[in-house]
Amino acid sequence: MQTRRHFTRRRTSHFFSLKQTGRKCPTAFLKMTRAVAATFALFFSLATVWSQSAPVLPAPPGMFKNTNVDDPAEPVKDSLTERGSHNFSDMGAWIWETNTFDRQTVRFWKSFEIPDDTTVTRARLRITADNEYILYLDGRELGRDAEWRHLYEYDITDLLSPGNHVLAVEVYNSSREAGFMFGLRVGLSSGKTLAVKSDTSWLIVPADVSGWEKKTEPADSWRPATFESAFGSGPWGTMDYIDLVPPLEPLNIPFWQTGWFEVALVSICVFVSMFSLILASQVLLHRKEKFLLHQERARIARDIHDDLGTRVTQLVLQGEVAQSELPSGSRTRGQLERISEEAREALRAMDEILWAINPRRDTLHEFATFVCGHAQTFLKATPIQCVLDVEPAMSTIAFDLPFRRSLLLAVKEALNNAAKHSGATELQLQIRRQGDGLTVVVQDNGRGFDPAQAKSERNGLANMNQRLNEVGGKCILSSQPGNGCRVEFYIPFTQMRRRPWWSNWYFGGRLTKMPPAPDAGKK
Amino acid sequence: MSKPAKASQPFKISAKSPLKIALVEDQPKVRDNWSQLINSFPDLSCVCICKTGEEALRLIPEVKPDAVLMDIFLPRMSGIECTSRLKALVPEVRIIILTAMNDEELVFMALEAGADGYLLKRTKPADLRAALLDVLNGGAPMTSEIARRVVESFRLKAKTRDESLRLSAREEQILLLLAKGQSNKTIADNLEISVDTVCHHLKHVFEKMHVSSRTEAVVRYMASKTPATS
Repeated sequence: MQTRRHFTRRRTSHFFSLKQTGRKCPTAFLKMTRAVAATFALFFSLATVWSQSAPVLPAPPGMFKNTNVDDPAEPVKDSLTERGSHNFSDMGAWIWETNTFDRQTVRFWKSFEIPDDTTVTRARLRITADNEYILYLDGRELGRDAEWRHLYEYDITDLLSPGNHVLAVEVYNSSREAGFMFGLRVGLSSGKTLAVKSDTSWLIVPADVSGWEKKTEPADSWRPATFESAFGSGPWGTMDYIDLVPPLEPLNIPFWQTGWFEVALVSICVFVSMFSLILASQVLLHRKEKFLLHQERARIARDIHDDLGTRVTQLVLQGEVAQSELPSGSRTRGQLERISEEAREALRAMDEILWAINPRRDTLHEFATFVCGHAQTFLKATPIQCVLDVEPAMSTIAFDLPFRRSLLLAVKEALNNAAKHSGATELQLQIRRQGDGLTVVVQDNGRGFDPAQAKSERNGLANMNQRLNEVGGKCILSSQPGNGCRVEFYIPFTQMRRRPWWSNWYFGGRLTKMPPAPDAGKK
Repeated sequence: MSKPAKASQPFKISAKSPLKIALVEDQPKVRDNWSQLINSFPDLSCVCICKTGEEALRLIPEVKPDAVLMDIFLPRMSGIECTSRLKALVPEVRIIILTAMNDEELVFMALEAGADGYLLKRTKPADLRAALLDVLNGGAPMTSEIARRVVESFRLKAKTRDESLRLSAREEQILLLLAKGQSNKTIADNLEISVDTVCHHLKHVFEKMHVSSRTEAVVRYMASKTPATS
């Protein structure tokens, strides 16, 4: 796998030269090198993956191709004469391993130090190998090539800073003679010159060491290289050409290509997608919960109806049969009748429970139907005539359990009051939509009362208020002595409409603690 | 359509010939109790007891009872389906639906299928007898909710049905007053007609409802029979 490249080669003809950039801000480069090194160390594994997937990075040149990627057919060549640089004094000798064989890979390693109190004014590196080499400096690849007749010259002035540096060269010999030659000349600001040449102080790294080009300390098992022949002698002779590798300069990585940015971007993406996944799953869960709740309610309703209902009905019938077998006037018969009547009451209560929990009854229409039915049955036993006034088209509007239950209980309370205290002959029950809410009006033509005085003694009034408050509605009572009584219940639809699914999550318990907010979001 | 002469005449109960009642109920205990309760009245006699809707369809046309008490929840064929098929076979039989719980939606479905009335199973025996006689006299119970549904269903059908199956203006007026919770007597007072006239109108409403549902039921019944026999 190819590691990510932090340095790039640029042709002098295309870009400003190394001297311009390099000299300008050596400290900036220093900082960047450190930052990049830190990034590299931290996210090495991530980076290796990205280099394959991130198209923004320049594709690395092919193995052992000429370094001039832009124009491989015509490498930048200078004859030695043109370069005026016949001085090979800084070149080392040809070195190799003790054994030489075909298709052999040898890894050379060497460290050197640039004194702390100086800066590098010029660093020229020349290298060649028979047959192919890959050159690393401080663990990063500088270049690679495969022509032993040429000498490759790198300008690494910008890459060297005071401190310890590691040179690592992997050389491959395809057949017969093998050798590697290297020379580095570093001019320092102190006027001194530092030279690193290929010689027997280079160490040969065994093949099984991984990450060897990054190692800053040699291991004991690394053996020194073997001297083959001096420069200019041996099978290779002198070099006719020097291939100038375009100056190496720190790559100005745009911020969107920096590791930190990419890490941040990826983490944001991951975070966002995880967040949306969590939310999506919450929505699903919420729906599922609602569905399950409905199912469960339907199941309970069915169970009550099928089992309990049937049994209590059976109890009533059995009681009736038992009564019919006894002579009228017998004491037991009266008791049996009371039992039957109790059981009937139980069934009536069950009817109401069934109505409440059956999810199919969660509509305004069903509510209106049930309330009207209840009012009629309830008032049948009283002298009060019940008049209904129900808006016809309210069928499909959802009216959830807590609302209809609270409203039903409040209406029952109002009916109770009317039956007990009003002495009315007629009671009007009005159910209609008004504006953006539902209004239920219970109005009687009875004797009425003074609300200011009555409030304390009639517990029912407080009850009605409380029930409506629980679901965010209100209860308005108006009455005058001798002029009947009118109770108006109002529930705004905005309270019924479920809050958006996220609001419950977002507002959490905050809203539920506020007095006007109902527990609608939980349903 | 069955003879209006018989339907309009009040049903006379004579001690000599008690009313013949058939019972369709799948639960044995309820069945026994009901038949016992029915037989405890001297003027009623339980002549036929069926366990399932299928059995009812087989036996009742032969026995020809005056009224059928039909449980709404029966295994396989529901009481509602059985009602509509039975009405197609024996149009003159009066069918009263029995329900354990008060569910007007189901009751309305049953009425649409051709039932003449409904009773809660927990009804007191005395009320049962009164309700039976009511139904046999054509006075089906009409709660405000049922009245509202009847008006709605006729309005829905109005476009597709012929004139004779539409509600007259008076019938609709009465139904709407019923839907407002008024009793037959109040309606009679309001419209300045007699209570009997109100009942008469209501009976017509039921007949129209049954006729429309009966023709549908016949079509449905025939459609379901044809592939099985051919």
